[in-house]
Amino acid sequence: MNVVQAVLSGGLIGGLYALMAVGLSLTWGMLRVISVMHFALILIGGYLALQLNSSWGLDPLLSIVVTVPALFLLGAGVQWAYDTFRLTEFNSLLVSFGLLIVVIQIATNIWTADFLGMESNRYAVGSIHLGRLVLPATTLLAFAFAVVLIVGAHLVLMRTFLGRAMRAFSQDRAVAAAFGIHDRTLAFLIAGVAGASAAVAGTIFVLGNHIAPTVPYNWFGTVFAVVILGGIGNLMGTLWAGIGVGVLSGLVATVWSPSAEPLVLFLAIALALVLRPQGLFARSRVT
Amino acid sequence: MSGRRGVGIVVAIAVLLAVLGFYNDAVGLPVYYLVLAGTVLYWVTQSTSWNLLSGYAGYFSFGQGAYIGVGAYTMAVMTGRHSVNFLVSLAVGILLSAILAWVTGAIAFRLKSLRGEIFALLTLAVPFILAAAAMITPSIDGGQGTTLPVPAMPSWIGDFQHLMFYLNLIVATVAVCIAVVVTSSRFGRGLTAINDAEDAAEVMGVPTFRYKMIAIVVGGAIGGAGGGLFALQIGFISVETVFNLTIPLTVIVISVLGGRRHWAGPIVGAFLIVLLQDRLSSAGLTAWNPIIFGALLAVLVVLAPEGMLPKLRAHPAISLGAFVLVTAAGFAIPGMATTDALLAGVIAAVVVASAASMLPRTSRRPRAAIDARRAEPKTERVDASAGRSTDSGSAPARGGRPIAPANPQVPRSSARTVVECHEVSRNFGGVQALREVSLRIWSGELVGLVGPNGSGKTTLMNLLSGALQPTTGAITITGRPIRGLAPHRVAHAGVARTYQIPKPFGSMTVRDNVAMAIMFGRQAPSLESARQQAGSFLATVALEHASNSYPNDLTLHQRLMLEMARAMAADPEVLLLDEALAGLNPAEIDEAVTVIRRIHQKGIAIVVVEHLLRVLHQLATRIVVLNNGVLIADGEPSVVLTDPEVVAAYLGRSRPVPAAEGGDDRA
Repeated sequence: MNVVQAVLSGGLIGGLYALMAVGLSLTWGMLRVISVMHFALILIGGYLALQLNSSWGLDPLLSIVVTVPALFLLGAGVQWAYDTFRLTEFNSLLVSFGLLIVVIQIATNIWTADFLGMESNRYAVGSIHLGRLVLPATTLLAFAFAVVLIVGAHLVLMRTFLGRAMRAFSQDRAVAAAFGIHDRTLAFLIAGVAGASAAVAGTIFVLGNHIAPTVPYNWFGTVFAVVILGGIGNLMGTLWAGIGVGVLSGLVATVWSPSAEPLVLFLAIALALVLRPQGLFARSRVT
Repeated sequence: MSGRRGVGIVVAIAVLLAVLGFYNDAVGLPVYYLVLAGTVLYWVTQSTSWNLLSGYAGYFSFGQGAYIGVGAYTMAVMTGRHSVNFLVSLAVGILLSAILAWVTGAIAFRLKSLRGEIFALLTLAVPFILAAAAMITPSIDGGQGTTLPVPAMPSWIGDFQHLMFYLNLIVATVAVCIAVVVTSSRFGRGLTAINDAEDAAEVMGVPTFRYKMIAIVVGGAIGGAGGGLFALQIGFISVETVFNLTIPLTVIVISVLGGRRHWAGPIVGAFLIVLLQDRLSSAGLTAWNPIIFGALLAVLVVLAPEGMLPKLRAHPAISLGAFVLVTAAGFAIPGMATTDALLAGVIAAVVVASAASMLPRTSRRPRAAIDARRAEPKTERVDASAGRSTDSGSAPARGGRPIAPANPQVPRSSARTVVECHEVSRNFGGVQALREVSLRIWSGELVGLVGPNGSGKTTLMNLLSGALQPTTGAITITGRPIRGLAPHRVAHAGVARTYQIPKPFGSMTVRDNVAMAIMFGRQAPSLESARQQAGSFLATVALEHASNSYPNDLTLHQRLMLEMARAMAADPEVLLLDEALAGLNPAEIDEAVTVIRRIHQKGIAIVVVEHLLRVLHQLATRIVVLNNGVLIADGEPSVVLTDPEVVAAYLGRSRPVPAAEGGDDRA
């Protein structure tokens, strides 16, 4: 029974992992930048939701209306900097690491280094009982958001003209630009959408967890595992990988030990990197 | 600087520091400075460890914490839990750390694609895996952390801080001396070549796998030594203190700030960063530390990826002047701390050197000479675009001069077999790129290898140079089977190649690019003698005037010539030229043809892949045609090129051959 509960909860939390990873996967796959700054955006999204809730009593899910545009702009702004300095994929990793450290310290200065949680949070209390299984409302929300947003984005990418432009862009930016796709605008748009996804992920995170400025370091293993296992730039793959990683983490924590979770996750990443390094990128066809 | 002299200077400075530390009370130096110096030395050790693989060879690692962690935990567990002597523990920690590095390298370097960001992410995972393993193993940590006793030591050393200072000094000195020796050795040149263009380095005879393994293992050992001392210093080790992300980032910032290509880079970087952090902390601005840190990393990568050391070295006089002046001024101000004055001095030197580097310099690389050469009147040309001659022989192209007659074909009875392919096949998944190709190339031949796109030409080139292994069949070079040999071994067997897209070593001059090939060739002379020999090869390709330029300043044509000079300098039996004429204009093609012929006259067999049939027709002594992976013709150019099967394969329709050759087959 414990195992069934672990698998179910893990799969639902996997929705949150997928939400956190999808922006990183999108920018890495399409813009060829490895922006660990994305973790900072999730952090900011979480703190903003928390702040709006405690200052104005705004419902956390309503606060998305504010945080999504804000982080859309921030994400696009960071991409503007990457583009302006023509960073290579590898240098973007270094630069965004530097930016992440700066944001974490600024967050510490504003919100202290302590763990903060949402008070008067009606989502944290609710849960659905299925026999002896308990499904907390926060994880159900995470899962629902992940499915709706990621499947929606997938459909946009596959079925619309804009999506086709984006896929063309991800295969060869220069060639797409030569065929009349405004590449910088499109890059802003993609990075902005990634930022917006960070706002949602941050909000969902603070619904069910306490947040501190250094939590991004704890996200590294999970999020990179989801991005790499799901196929870099592959949205549906990210969703499946998120659920898979959630189930795996839940199982390891229940059957073995919660401390062993990072061991398994990072071994999975290392194996994926070693076994299919050139197959990491999703192969998307432009039709 | 020669290695021996560099080591001498480093050891002399270390001895001076040791003496200063021993008599610190007598000269009025508070213990605080010993601790500060120990911290600087600790980071010098770690950055030097990181530099060996990541700085010199360009394999950036986020895994420095892993070596520190292994060294620190070995020290903590052995001295803290089993009361083993700390020097023994240090030695065991070094060994374990080196083994970890060996395992990491053995996994990562087996795969060619594990470079750049993929390698970085793999190394990022290593400390996390170790941290989790330590957390779930109670005999190592188990989440409790481990306390270390203060080590027992002879009384003449003084107190604990003296001991730590000496230990850090010894380890850092050894590390820096290793770096000095490495950077001035052929090993160090090889690492630089790996950083610049790894594939080219390998086919030129650099044993890239072995070099990377040596670099990562030595780096791991140094890192483990530093980690052990770190554990002794702080006396309590937990997972968070050693396996965190700040360590690799600090190391990267120090190395990149100082300069990752030179042994002194970590010293400059560590001095600046540790002093800066110390001053910020004592000013109560600890919270600013990470902000400055992160901003430095972001800004440095964008604006000064080569670091401060090259700038300081370019302007030694004014940098030193600024340092002395500002530091002295700081001392003169009453009440200003010594460290404040020092930091101000270092920052002044860095700022002045950076500013001086931004000013335009008068004696730049001799680009003008190159430009002048390009403007020379072009008299000779193989009129490739206009050549619609209807003759089938070696008649001149319309409007052009005749190409000098090819070397008379060497009679095969007296020639040696240089290359022999026996029923060689190569599959990629289900695709058969080559099917039972048998081919023999004699010394003195100039073989043109032609065929439509996808016919297997490049596959054959890669098989001959050892970059790929045949699925079935055997290849021998001068009678020696090359199955299973790494490309650098194949190079030593006598194969050299050029790339269609030139892959020069960007950080080396044109002369040194050629000298590398000589140095890692079959004779393996020293760099100095290789440099002297390089001139004649540059003369053969008419690049002598650009010896001191850097590859970035060359035109495409000149870079292709550099490729040929490098390949020739490796003293090969057979030279493989992969589309050596692609992208050149008619005048440049003409020059290249002259050069190829010159190389041929030196007695080197040449295999050239080229689409310009008209050029090949007159250059080659023999033409081999591949189609769909099958060798369909082999023989005299004029015979082969009029063969109906060849015409059909190459042009897809029946047509008199010479008339069909023109500029349009370059498309």
